[in-house]
Formats: sequence, C-alpha cells, structure tokens
Amino acid sequence: MPEDKPFSINVGQLKARPKQADQSRVEAVDKAAAEHGFVQREPGGRRGRPKSPRTGQVHAKVLPNVADEISQEAQRRGVTQGVVIEEAWAAYLESNGRR
Amino acid sequence: MPTIAIASPKGGAGKSTTAVILGTELAHAGVPVTMLDCDPNKSLTLWAARGTVPDRIKVLTDITESDIIKTIREHDRDGQIVIVDLEGVASRLMSRAISQADLVITPMRATTLDAMIGARTIALIQEEEEALGRSIPFAIVFTMTKAVRSKQHSGIEASLSDQGVDVIKPELMERAAFSSFFEFGGDLYSMPAQGKIENAQENASAFAKAVFERLVGEGADA
Repeated sequence: MPEDKPFSINVGQLKARPKQADQSRVEAVDKAAAEHGFVQREPGGRRGRPKSPRTGQVHAKVLPNVADEISQEAQRRGVTQGVVIEEAWAAYLESNGRR
Repeated sequence: MPTIAIASPKGGAGKSTTAVILGTELAHAGVPVTMLDCDPNKSLTLWAARGTVPDRIKVLTDITESDIIKTIREHDRDGQIVIVDLEGVASRLMSRAISQADLVITPMRATTLDAMIGARTIALIQEEEEALGRSIPFAIVFTMTKAVRSKQHSGIEASLSDQGVDVIKPELMERAAFSSFFEFGGDLYSMPAQGKIENAQENASAFAKAVFERLVGEGADA
C-alpha cells in the first residue's frame, strides 16, 4: 500500500516563467502550425453580411424624378438610399443651425 | 506557474486519462492544479461532474482557440500548475497551447500508428521553438501498456530514445482504475477499489513524480 502522500512536493519550486504572447508571436506560431496542418478547426463567427444598424424607417412619397435621382445617386456611390437620406437630413439640420 | 499541455493529434491515445491522473496525483501531493478542458468532447468536464472534484483542483471548461493564451496567462502564478487537455486533432488551439507550455506531454499507445501521428507533435514543437526563440520541453508517455511488452513497443521506444526524445518512466499501464476515472470521478484514493488499486496508485504517483521532476528541471534523461 503506498503512503498517503507518496512523494513530497515543494510548491515553492514551481515558478511562473514569462512567455511571449504578443500578436506578432501568436501570428508566427499560427503560421508555423499551419505549415504542419495544425489549422483552425473551430467554426468561425456569424457568416454573411453584418447586421445593419439602420433599423428605422421613413415612409415618404416623393415625386418620381426625385425618387429616380436618389436611387441613381445611391447606386453610383454603392450605398443604400437610406445613407443618402441621412446625409440630406444632416445637411438640413446644419443649414438650420441645429447641429 | 508551470503549464503542461497534454497534446497529440491522435485521438484515443489517452490524453484525458493522462491529464486526470497527473492532475489528481499532483493535487494529492499538495499542488493547486487548474485543469483546462479544451476538448469539445468535454472529457475533463465529464470527469469533474461524475464525482467530487478533489481538493486543490479547479476545472475550467469551454476554452477555445481565441481565449486559450489569455486563460493560461490569467492562471500563471507561482506555486501552481496548469494542465491543458486538448482534442485529438491537429488544430491551431493545440499549437497555441503549446506556445505557452513549460512542458508538452504526448501520450502514445505503443503502436506504430500512434508513434507516426505523435511525431507530428514533435515537428510542430520544433517549429514553434524557432518561431518563439525559446525551447519547449517535450516528453512522451506510453499509455495503456501491458505487463508483457510487445516487440513493437520496444522498437518504438528504442527509436524514440535514439532520436533523443524524452520518454517518461514509468509508463501508464492499462488498469481498471485508470479507465474508471470517467465512471466515478474523483481520484484514485476516493474511488471504489478497481482491480489492484494499490498498483494503480503507485503507477500514477510515480508518473506524476517523474513529470514534476521535469518541471523543476531534475528529471529528463534524454
């Protein structure tokens, strides 16, 4: 029957040793690991386009030519029509000295 | 605090059993131990839930690739030990854990397949040593060995020793008590007697002592 404490440990011998963990070291480790087939195995984050913070709606009927011009400007800039309307509203506030 | 990563890309090599044997024996000898369960199969968590977690042991679960380094560093204190149990797959999580380790132990059954796949860990460690500019002590332990040693076992061990690989003695033999950890939880001193429990206690204790000696720089022969 072994003794209750079969070997004695002096925990004072156990010292924390500093190890590098800055971003560049982590990247270097990841790169070395990938070369040996040790790659990311965990599922990534949410797929697809991130959620838009633009959750408000305006319900506006405008003249057809204004609708066309807003649409064309948004398309030209690669933004949504909401962005154009937000900018128009910001310009309106500024012109009225409210911002 | 010294961090020990139990790592092998081979499944079924005995990583979680090795982690539990080591953690419970070190805690039994008086060392506070933090065990990190990084395996999606949650073997350590299962063990912790099966019985009373022994004194001085804390088990943290659901450690992921993105928080492994931070978690190890948070528990980096003198006079304690962190044991990281990893999934048996070649993953970035494994490589990051190794990057923070003071000792990497690769459990290996005495088969050619285990040896071949375990060798990938050695190659990875060598790459990480270069990337980090520090040495990462590494040792293997044969697991689930039989009383009668096979020629294959002797051949693999001789080959590893010839290459300068540190092989921990004693090996962890196939024992009913070791496989019962996940049935009863706790440690070898609290579980109902399984097989020759005294032999299992002696085996586990001697193994933990050999690991401890490596941590404090007294043990490696290779």
